[in-house]
Amino acid sequence: MSELREPCVPGLFTEEGGASLLGARCRSCGTPYFPAPSHCRNPSCAESALEPQAFGGGGTLWSYSVANFAPPAPHRFDEPFRPYVIGVVDLDQGLRVVGQMVGEAADMRVGARVDLVVAPIYHEDGKAFTSWKFELSRGSREHA
Amino acid sequence: MREVVVLGVGMHRFGKTGDEAVGNKSVTELCRAAVDMALKDAGVSWRQIEAVSAASSRFSGGKGWGLNGNDVVEDLGGTGVPVYNLSAGCAAGGNAFNVGYSLVAGGIYDMMLVVGGEVMPRGMIQTSGVEDAADPEFLRQRCVGMPGPSFWATLARRRMHDHGTTEEQMARVTVKARQCAVGNPYARFRKAVTVEEVLASPYVSDPLRLFEICPVSNGAAAAVICSAAMARRFTRRPITVATSTVATIAFDDALPRSLAGPVPAGPSLHTEARAAVLRAFERAGIGPREIGFTELQDNTCYYELAFPEEWGLCEAGEAERLVEAGETAPGGRMPINPSGGFVSFGEATTAMGVFQIAELTWQLRGEAGARQVPDARVGLAQTNGLGGNATAAILKR
Ligand SMILES: [Zn+2]
Repeated sequence: MSELREPCVPGLFTEEGGASLLGARCRSCGTPYFPAPSHCRNPSCAESALEPQAFGGGGTLWSYSVANFAPPAPHRFDEPFRPYVIGVVDLDQGLRVVGQMVGEAADMRVGARVDLVVAPIYHEDGKAFTSWKFELSRGSREHA
Repeated sequence: MREVVVLGVGMHRFGKTGDEAVGNKSVTELCRAAVDMALKDAGVSWRQIEAVSAASSRFSGGKGWGLNGNDVVEDLGGTGVPVYNLSAGCAAGGNAFNVGYSLVAGGIYDMMLVVGGEVMPRGMIQTSGVEDAADPEFLRQRCVGMPGPSFWATLARRRMHDHGTTEEQMARVTVKARQCAVGNPYARFRKAVTVEEVLASPYVSDPLRLFEICPVSNGAAAAVICSAAMARRFTRRPITVATSTVATIAFDDALPRSLAGPVPAGPSLHTEARAAVLRAFERAGIGPREIGFTELQDNTCYYELAFPEEWGLCEAGEAERLVEAGETAPGGRMPINPSGGFVSFGEATTAMGVFQIAELTWQLRGEAGARQVPDARVGLAQTNGLGGNATAAILKR
């Protein structure tokens, strides 16, 4: 890939060593967080003990919807607007995450296996600005 | 705690700036009309109001759009009454009612005015506009791009998976809502629609369509409440406030409201709405099966299916069948939103909690005309607001 890529917001996710979200997990109560908060927010947690954790790999599509119209700013997108799918994914690591889906709505189904990826969401100044997205796993694509 | 009653209610018809219903009226004008009607309905003069509880969308101290209770008081004539401006997103009307109820129940005031109203800015409601990487809503819009309706659409899609709900069944909720609104002079959309017309309206966020999502509206509603002891001087048939509650979102709420959260061990529910409603059942000593009819926050038709079962009004997965059998219509076994609901009114954010109190009052008095729930005795109202707010109220005669 020759185009210049840059995260749409720095410090939230990385492509190095595989796509992953840079979050945290509380060592006391096990609660996963993305993005990382300053302290654990679980009211039943005895003592906040956050440590950095990267979330990635596979998950299951909990549900999805379509952005049939362009959302208002601060969202950015390439013109002309093309409707895209938004997924809610339960990662195997225990984190439920919202993200754009790679692919068309017709191919999606609740319960499908997906993988976390990093891909462009808009282009500006000759650069591709990336975000995290989810892509149907190979097996899920064949069954769709 | 003293018993509190609703003495009078009022409303200004809902509409969109420039239309025949609201024209170019300001929020103060809309509220004035609703307040005048409520005072007249109660048989109370403005000078007898001891305090005002207003649902406010305006940043305190700032200008900008939105209702501020002080403007309403100034317009009515400054009597020096205390004004409480309550902010809770679209639950603000419910919060204002709760604060009014609590102050009268606690014996601080005998007679209060509760008011909510809105003239909504054009277009989609936007976030602050500040590009702050520490603001989860900014991150959600920049990194994902999740317009408001797609949150509801995601939940609707999940319901289709869990219960086999069809798009036609969801369309039937709108058909029922609009049929109710035909009989409501205060509704913005008063024309009946067919299943075919709903299914022909474009997707806003697949699987939800234009006719299945409430737009923003202008409108206002008001209620005069007082102690039961004082009510005897004004009416022989007051409507009793069995209870009024407020709740906020719980840590274990698993709905996709932000960017991410823990995968839940159990079901994914609206924890704020459920807490407010279940607390209302408990405080009133009235169970879900004793509720005669419900006005709930139907930002989309999905909620008429999901909320009744989250609160135990019906069994899980039963709602679709009840809708198809006509049981959620005013004459059915579980009437939902006989007013026509948000889908028929549009959402004038801060007015909604008070709008529900007005509809409950009319229903319980038997004054609801063509949309009347036969022999209505106990009604439940519920609102939800951005930021994780919810309210509930139970009224009875
Ligand atoms: Zn913890």
